[in-house]
Amino acid sequence: MNTAIGAGLELRQLCREVGGRRLLDRLDLAVAPGECLALLGPSGCGKSTTLRLVAGLDPASAGQVLLDGQDLGALSPGERQVAMVFQSYALYPHLSVEGNLELGLKVRGVAGAERQRRLGAVLEMLQLEELRQRRPAQLSGGQRQRVALARALLRQPRIMLLDEPMSNLDAQLREELRPELRRLLCGREQPVIYVTHDQQEAVGMADRIALLDAGRLQQVGSPRELYADPANRFVACFLGRPAINLLAIAPGRQLGLRPEHLHLAEDGPLAARLLRREWWGHQQLLWLDSRWGPLRVLCDPEVTLPTEPRLGWQRQHELWFDPLSGARLHGQGPVW
Amino acid sequence: MAARPPLSSLRRWRSLPKLLTNALLALLSAMCLLVLLPASGLSSSGLPSAGQSGIPAAAAEPVTIRVLMPAPLADAVAAPVAQFNASGAGIALEVIRGPLDTETISDLATGSLLLGEAPFDLLLVDVSWLARYVAAGWFEPLERWFGPEVLAAMEPGARLGNGLDGHLWRMPLTGDTGLLYWRTDLMERPPRDTEELVAISRDLQRRGRVRWGYLWQGRQYEGLSCVMVEVLHGFGARWWNGSTARTELDSPEAVAAARWLAALLQDGVSPPAVASYAENDALQSFAAGDAAFLRNWPYAWREIEKGGGLVKGKVGVTAMVGAPGEQGGGTLGTWGLSLIKGSPHPEEAVAAIRWLTGPVVQRQLAIEQGYAPTWSTLYDDPDLQRRAPLLTVQRQALQHPQLRPPTPAYAQLSDLLARQVNGMLTGQGGPGPTMAAAQRQSLQVLRSLAGPAGDTAGESAGGRPAVDR
Amino acid sequence: MKARAASLLLMAPALLLLAAVFVYPLLRYGWLSFQASSVLTGLEPVPNGGANWGRLLDDARFWTDAFQTLRFAVCSVALELAGGLGLALLLHRPLRGRGTLRALTLLPWALPTTVMALGWRWILNDPHGPLNAAIRSLGGSSYGFLSTPATTWFFVVLADVWKTLPFVALLLLAGLQTIPEDLEEALRLEGAGRLQILRRLTLPLLVPYLTLALLFRLAQALGVFDLIQVLSGGGPAGSTESLALYAYLNAMRFLDFGYAATVMLATFLLLLVLLGGGWLLWRRERAA
Repeated sequence: MNTAIGAGLELRQLCREVGGRRLLDRLDLAVAPGECLALLGPSGCGKSTTLRLVAGLDPASAGQVLLDGQDLGALSPGERQVAMVFQSYALYPHLSVEGNLELGLKVRGVAGAERQRRLGAVLEMLQLEELRQRRPAQLSGGQRQRVALARALLRQPRIMLLDEPMSNLDAQLREELRPELRRLLCGREQPVIYVTHDQQEAVGMADRIALLDAGRLQQVGSPRELYADPANRFVACFLGRPAINLLAIAPGRQLGLRPEHLHLAEDGPLAARLLRREWWGHQQLLWLDSRWGPLRVLCDPEVTLPTEPRLGWQRQHELWFDPLSGARLHGQGPVW
Repeated sequence: MAARPPLSSLRRWRSLPKLLTNALLALLSAMCLLVLLPASGLSSSGLPSAGQSGIPAAAAEPVTIRVLMPAPLADAVAAPVAQFNASGAGIALEVIRGPLDTETISDLATGSLLLGEAPFDLLLVDVSWLARYVAAGWFEPLERWFGPEVLAAMEPGARLGNGLDGHLWRMPLTGDTGLLYWRTDLMERPPRDTEELVAISRDLQRRGRVRWGYLWQGRQYEGLSCVMVEVLHGFGARWWNGSTARTELDSPEAVAAARWLAALLQDGVSPPAVASYAENDALQSFAAGDAAFLRNWPYAWREIEKGGGLVKGKVGVTAMVGAPGEQGGGTLGTWGLSLIKGSPHPEEAVAAIRWLTGPVVQRQLAIEQGYAPTWSTLYDDPDLQRRAPLLTVQRQALQHPQLRPPTPAYAQLSDLLARQVNGMLTGQGGPGPTMAAAQRQSLQVLRSLAGPAGDTAGESAGGRPAVDR
Repeated sequence: MKARAASLLLMAPALLLLAAVFVYPLLRYGWLSFQASSVLTGLEPVPNGGANWGRLLDDARFWTDAFQTLRFAVCSVALELAGGLGLALLLHRPLRGRGTLRALTLLPWALPTTVMALGWRWILNDPHGPLNAAIRSLGGSSYGFLSTPATTWFFVVLADVWKTLPFVALLLLAGLQTIPEDLEEALRLEGAGRLQILRRLTLPLLVPYLTLALLFRLAQALGVFDLIQVLSGGGPAGSTESLALYAYLNAMRFLDFGYAATVMLATFLLLLVLLGGGWLLWRRERAA
């Protein structure tokens, strides 16, 4: 990233410990102005914890949160000028859409006329004019999300935080809303952190992905980097669907091969037996068994299979791991 | 999943009117339950039905007779009752322990009697309840079993308050009267009249021997009425005129009596707290050595001697004093047994009355609890005189007993007098207006009880309005 | 229509029960209030026209008691709501030993009223109660707290507040726990302070619970009986007597059931007017 030193959000050795349990362990991360960073990981990996530390809702046990070089540690959530879209949307049930949007402005003492102007603008931007008198209970999931977004935008935040904003929507709506969300959020001045457990969403929304597991940062980089050059077996397994094949080829070495990188080859080194096939339309997924373990292979939907298929791959797609630690082993694997 | 709390709270918000309606309904039905109890009782109160099955018990099977008593009395008679049950009379006497407080046990008994199926055959009745309970028709007359010669063998005070309208309704078990307690360590002899009482008190207070002079019951409750009976009598006034069946609370003597009570507080002879004292409060304070004199019932003496307080062994008891030249007299607080109308076993119940009011039980009560006996012979018993030191004083007090107004309206009259006098004691009116108001309200009560037929309340004998029954 | 019939059928037992425990006694009381039924009539009801109601209108004690009851209810319920809210907010915060604290808070509520009232009578005893002992140890002199109307009234209210504060607090705590934490966090992120959160979020969301507590407590306080019966007996000079106590005296002590029914019914009507009026007012405000 070629940004000025200190510009944007920077997390330094950030820790959070509760009752002797380490929820977040020495996290170092930087998000540039205008950048959208996805925090990805399974539940309990520390991604929501990170978000709450940035927002100031929980105190950090150690480490710093810096914004444009300024330490936010001593500031209350209100003073940090961050906006957060909650997983539940956290709309105030006793207030109308308008009331929900206005409350923050009132709390911050924005005068009546200015309040109306800003409110009008954001209502228009998110096409909420029709709904302004409705109570949250009378809104659909997508509409609630829009109100939550509008509220976040009205905050004019220096950091935008989103905590699984799609998880309450059905799968189709999620895909439809992704471009709109990206349009609204990204490309502004502020850094955006987008928490999700869904890799598709992370890939679709983010400039970069930070993958967390058990409170530790596993890898940070563009989706392509994480996919092609995973730092360890966890990253390799977490990204990509269907998941990567792990083959116990030799003691001390484990070979990772993505399903799309295996192909049928008469002279391939790996003999396999077909167990099942799933037909997906544009592709088919083969479930196979081999002497090194079960295999998943993605191939052309129209291909016909021999009774005893053999499989091949290109050396450049090989990913080697230490079977015990899961660490990536660089260099060449054994020669076949 | 995380979306659930906000959504459900939204739902709750919208269902608020329903919630409120439900709450209101719940509340109303709770109130009804309160209302229901006396309502259902009234419907059958005219016909009290038998508590037990009407089938006569087989000879082998003892007949159970239940009697309701205040707990201390119930405990005191436990041994004689066991003796009675073992005597082979074919009766199993069961004593139900009721609350200690007279008004509370009256409420309990009233509640049972109103419901029509009293779970007891015999009731230990305070003298102040009798007229009301008789008017309610809850008792069976006893003269079939107890002739005039029975009461004639009792002390004069014990004979009072048992009969009404020519019937005998109660056999007395105790001959208690209000007594004056004094400190033998502070004075040579007890005061002879109210003036001496005040003079001794002030002298002792001035010399710092004791904080207060005289403790009594000034709380707004029936106990204050008992105090008033004594004070009124002690000043030559009377609360109730039996021949006219009217109150005479506004007589100059009555006002003088009230003025004396008020002056006790104003002059600091009695503490202001007396206006909140019931029997036990006054007793506790006296037992702690706070005062030179105490007005209380006979049981207080045992409490003081048992309790081991500061004044143990330094307390004497005397009959209640009056103003100079007036005969003092203690309020009659006797207890006696009455037979509940509709008891399935009246003969056995009367046998139980005979035993319980007999000399054996009375002797025991005198020794253990200090209750005054009713039988004259017991007062002549030298052994009992030795073991019940109050006996002589109690007999003396029974020669000049003061009855509370024997009218069914006594509860109302007592309530309003206690209210008025308590107001005077807490500085809300002088003796004159207080007693005038009490008299006015008393006449109102008596008039309202006389009903639409007119002011005939005063005409019937014995203070009980004539009722066709 | 079918669903409606079914729902009526399902509600029938409840409605019957309501009629049995509520409508019947009310009707019976209405009828009884037009009868003389006292020791004078051998407790048999004898019609006496509107004599009982006429007596009620004339009965200064009834109206004094009505005023005293209302004053007691308003003061104690107001204090209970305010104090209960404070306590609920305190207990809602994550404190060490919060569970124990919550259990401790409930103690007064768990105590039977009569026991509690006896306890207060002992505490206030002059001169041997702990309160007076404390005053003396601080160099003051004993005070007859139950011997003057003002202090007696104060302690009757205090005892009621002490006893029922936990109930209100618990009810409001339950309400607080239904408010999702992220709502408060969202408002904190908007820059709101504690007071603003309380005013703009917590209190509005607690309104249903506050209303419920208000209705319950108001109905209870207007029917206050055992506390006053034991603590002051209605004294001094009737200054703390409540309508329930007066009705009880008429029924149980005076055996004057015609008039007792009249007093009870009148009390109920007053309560209904008060609660119903308040509720309608509240509903109209919400609709506006």
